Amino acid sequence: MRHLLDKKVLFFGGKGGVGKTTSASATALAASRAGKRVLLVSTDPAHSTSDIFEREIGPEPVELLPNLWGLEIDGALESQRYVANVKEQIKGLFGHHILKEANKQIDLAASMPGAEEMALFDRIGGLIRGEDTRFDLIIFDTAPTGHTLRLIRMPELMEAWIRALSRSRQAMLGIEQDDKTDPVLMSLTERLHGLREFRARLLSPRISAFMLVLVAERLPIEETARALEQLKQAGVTVGGLVVNRVLPATSPDPFLQSRHSQEVIYLDEIDRRFAHLSRIRVPQLASDVHGVKTLEALSEILVP
Amino acid sequence: MSIRQNIRDIFHGAAYGAYERELRIQAAELNDLFLLLCYMEIVGLPNPATLYLLDVYPYLLEQFHIWHKRMGMARSPLGTLPCC
Repeated sequence: MRHLLDKKVLFFGGKGGVGKTTSASATALAASRAGKRVLLVSTDPAHSTSDIFEREIGPEPVELLPNLWGLEIDGALESQRYVANVKEQIKGLFGHHILKEANKQIDLAASMPGAEEMALFDRIGGLIRGEDTRFDLIIFDTAPTGHTLRLIRMPELMEAWIRALSRSRQAMLGIEQDDKTDPVLMSLTERLHGLREFRARLLSPRISAFMLVLVAERLPIEETARALEQLKQAGVTVGGLVVNRVLPATSPDPFLQSRHSQEVIYLDEIDRRFAHLSRIRVPQLASDVHGVKTLEALSEILVP
Repeated sequence: MSIRQNIRDIFHGAAYGAYERELRIQAAELNDLFLLLCYMEIVGLPNPATLYLLDVYPYLLEQFHIWHKRMGMARSPLGTLPCC
């Protein structure tokens, strides 16, 4: 998996509970040890990176270890921030009356369903575009598959939408007044450029890759197959699979032996169905992963 | 206004009047479409770009005012979008 450390953006996704956070954290640790300046970003509303590193991580990057920063994005907070920022931006541009109405309008729009998700999307977009130049590699510990795949399709959807709006605005301006200084069109054009860059970086195999984490069980395998199909449709590069919590073959315990013999069937299935992808097996560890010590053991397995 | 200017306006109107009227209607219709696309949520349609339109809302408020006047409504017909 070492070659993945040369990317700029890595996503870790998969079904709930398969070990996305531990895999992402361990990879981030390995990258930071390899001399990269790494930002580990959690986009799951139920953040757990702070539990792994056993310290508080907030909505701004905090340094966890040398060369390793953590960030937990909160949709509600991002949406508040976004709104405050817009209000500040328009403050000097309009008269009192218009501002009062516009602010009401803005508050209303920001309380609509989907606003938080979009604010989250906007923040992720900023990170992927490389607005924060302190980092060489950004690793996203994402929310369970469905949510994340939606997020990945969003730049495309938004781009189409904003483009349609720009066209409509342009058609109107073409008749009424033909100047290039229309503030609405200028704002839309700027958005469009941002979205294009976001999408270009997301789809570039040189810059971004998506890692899928799974365990050797029926449901995670099926979800992985579906996720692969959707990532392919979206045009996102898949970096490989992390097959997590593989049981040891040499246990004398009959219960574990029986689990293991079932697991072998699924492991074979994984090798067969995902033969075209690089796969890395992570054994079931003797204890669960929290704290830097256990994370180190995992990072040596992931990036030997 | 001079007589010369008046005569010029009369001929201008005769030559281009109908054409300009057509264009004005077309521009107004496009304007309405644009407003609708921006304010979709107010008529109950989800708008994926809401957050990216927040900073253009103040500009659109002026247009909204022109719209409801043009539609023959003295006041804003939408409770959620108060105007004058």
